[in-house]
Amino acid sequence: MSHSVLICDDAIFMRTMIGDILQQSGFDVVGEAETGLQAIEKYKQLKPDLVTMDIVMPDMGGIDAVREITKFDPNARVLMCSAMGQQALVVEAIQAGAKDFVVKPFQPSRVLEAVQRVLG
Amino acid sequence: MDLSRYAELFLTESREHLSAINHLLLELERTPGASEPLDAIFRAVHTIKGMSATMGYGPVAELTHELESLLDRVRRGESRISAPLLDVSFATADALESAIDLAVAGRIDEIEVTQLLGRLRALASDKPARAKANGKKRRATSDNGEAGMLVRVRLAPDTQLSGVRAYLVVKRAETLGTVHSLSPSIEALQAGDFDRKFSLRLNTHEPAGAVEAALRSVGDVESVSAMSGSEENQTTPPNPDLHVDPVGEALPREALRQQQHIRIELRRLDTLMNLIGELMITRGRLVETAAAAGDLAVTEAVSEASRLISQLQDEIMMSRMVPVHHVFDRFPRLVRDAARSLGKNVEFAMSGKEIELDRSMLDEIGDPIVHLLRNAVDHGFETPAEREAAGKPAFGKLTLSAARERSSVTVRVSDDGRGIDRVRVLAKAREQGFVTDAAKTELTDEELIRMIARPGFSTKDQVTDLSGRGVGIDAVYSRVRALGGSVEIKTAAGQGTTTILRLPITLAIIRALLARVHDEVYAIPLTHVQETVALTPSHLKTVRGQEVLLMRGDVLPLVRMRTLASQPVAQDGTAHVIVLELGERRMGLVVDELSGQQDIVVKHFDAVRGGAALFSGATILSDGSPSLIVDVGSLL
Repeated sequence: MSHSVLICDDAIFMRTMIGDILQQSGFDVVGEAETGLQAIEKYKQLKPDLVTMDIVMPDMGGIDAVREITKFDPNARVLMCSAMGQQALVVEAIQAGAKDFVVKPFQPSRVLEAVQRVLG
Repeated sequence: MDLSRYAELFLTESREHLSAINHLLLELERTPGASEPLDAIFRAVHTIKGMSATMGYGPVAELTHELESLLDRVRRGESRISAPLLDVSFATADALESAIDLAVAGRIDEIEVTQLLGRLRALASDKPARAKANGKKRRATSDNGEAGMLVRVRLAPDTQLSGVRAYLVVKRAETLGTVHSLSPSIEALQAGDFDRKFSLRLNTHEPAGAVEAALRSVGDVESVSAMSGSEENQTTPPNPDLHVDPVGEALPREALRQQQHIRIELRRLDTLMNLIGELMITRGRLVETAAAAGDLAVTEAVSEASRLISQLQDEIMMSRMVPVHHVFDRFPRLVRDAARSLGKNVEFAMSGKEIELDRSMLDEIGDPIVHLLRNAVDHGFETPAEREAAGKPAFGKLTLSAARERSSVTVRVSDDGRGIDRVRVLAKAREQGFVTDAAKTELTDEELIRMIARPGFSTKDQVTDLSGRGVGIDAVYSRVRALGGSVEIKTAAGQGTTTILRLPITLAIIRALLARVHDEVYAIPLTHVQETVALTPSHLKTVRGQEVLLMRGDVLPLVRMRTLASQPVAQDGTAHVIVLELGERRMGLVVDELSGQQDIVVKHFDAVRGGAALFSGATILSDGSPSLIVDVGSLL
């Protein structure tokens, strides 16, 4: 059975791109979220195997969302999507419970490697 | 980029720094509080680190990096100069020496620095309060296993957000046991302030292999090595207080040093060159005197000495030879920049970079070559649109090559640009009165160069733009001629231009033919002498009021040295003709008498320009008398 994924990003472009990368590798994108709040809501509702999480989003940022999701499910597997120069924020996200990270611009191979590590 | 040719330089410089480090360490040992030697060591170590990293000599860079970190702690007052610190520093200096030799010899795989790195890191990661603790104490703790497993991690070169990745590794390690002695600190790691490598100690019950596997799974980890306390002890020298060279004895160090280099001030080489020049002159005199004395034993000894002096001269010459890449290497960048700023598409290639030239010659030819390359890019090549219209490849080909040809070196600058417009040059030459022959429709290569090499001829913008070439060719020409060389230009409209510089390999000593004219003896560089003949009336002919030389059916221009040098016109008597050649040009030079050949030392001429254009320099002959050196280039 393929793994289910929830993609959280405020940009449609990014969501589409990550979605394509993952779907092409057999993942099942079960939901998308545009804000941190939506992400928490959808996680509780869908209980996906994996969450990809943007750091900067309106309403609630990715780091707080990770914190809330991990509180709800300590085994949640969250992959942070960061940009260059967000070193400190990524560290914070990992302290909040994220398992790994990928850096934009995305290279499909790197995204998939990270996903495998998080799921592995 | 090919780094191998920098290896020798790296070796020489590193050895100098190492030697300095050893001296400074001794000084530091005598006066532990002094900051000056410490700073100097730090700089030297830092320099070797930078150089070795550039050369890709990983283990050398690693060793220097660790030593640098250790010394930096001392500089920042976190550690103090102690016996173990000095010992490990000395040991590192020794190990560096071997490692550098091996690295340069291409045997980098044989370098073994692990244990020394461990010692350096252990000392550097000591708590400030324990900085004074001696090696035995430190070892005692690791014997008890309290120090835990030493884990060293290196991240992949393309790791993104390496600080975060390192943090993930540390977090993973924390799931296996207790992490301490993290180096660099967690703050530095998170900030990405490290060079992909970090180490930590882990108190764990997991076997080393399991730790390695777990940490490797974090991703972007290039290598992990976990070493338990007991393993570490086995590889640590039995007594760290003992000055042990970890690689020293096993290596045939001497074998690696066959090609040693030292640096010598250029001035000393010049002095040597001058001295050998004087010696050559004395040798000539000695040979003459011995021959006159007629004593067989003396003649034999003199001829032996003479042979040795020749060898000595050759060796000194060789010591001055430098591969042309020392000058050539900056050209690709120069051509690229010139092409960019002028909007030309140029593909630049060089060959013969290993060809050697005398150092002083090399210094002199840089500018002329730069001139030729710039000219080619600026005036030689068409614009991209013009090239397309002419059906030529989009990228202009510019090549610079050096080649050895007998006793000279040929430097060729060749482009496939528009070539020189002979018609325009001819028209211009006519306009300026250089060409009077109305029937002439085209200039040969030889004539062409004579035209454009005339000072002032080609400096008019008009001609420059139209002819596609020419700015400052006269400057190149006169410089190369002053060096005893010659310039040749081959060009074809629409196909490009090739400029050939022929240079003597060395400046200082040339073989010359000596010719007496009245009471003066002149020296004529033998490279330009084709042959000599006794002058007979049958050689002479007058064409349009000009005396010419008839040689086996060829008609050559003829010049009398007496006329040139404003000597009184010859009384009746014998005369000789020296046939001079330069490229394809030839001419006859009439002198009174030939007085043999000699190696002469060229002393450069500071005489007033213009008046002395006939001579390129002066020399002292073996009998002690001065002689002027004829500039064949200016005659032809």
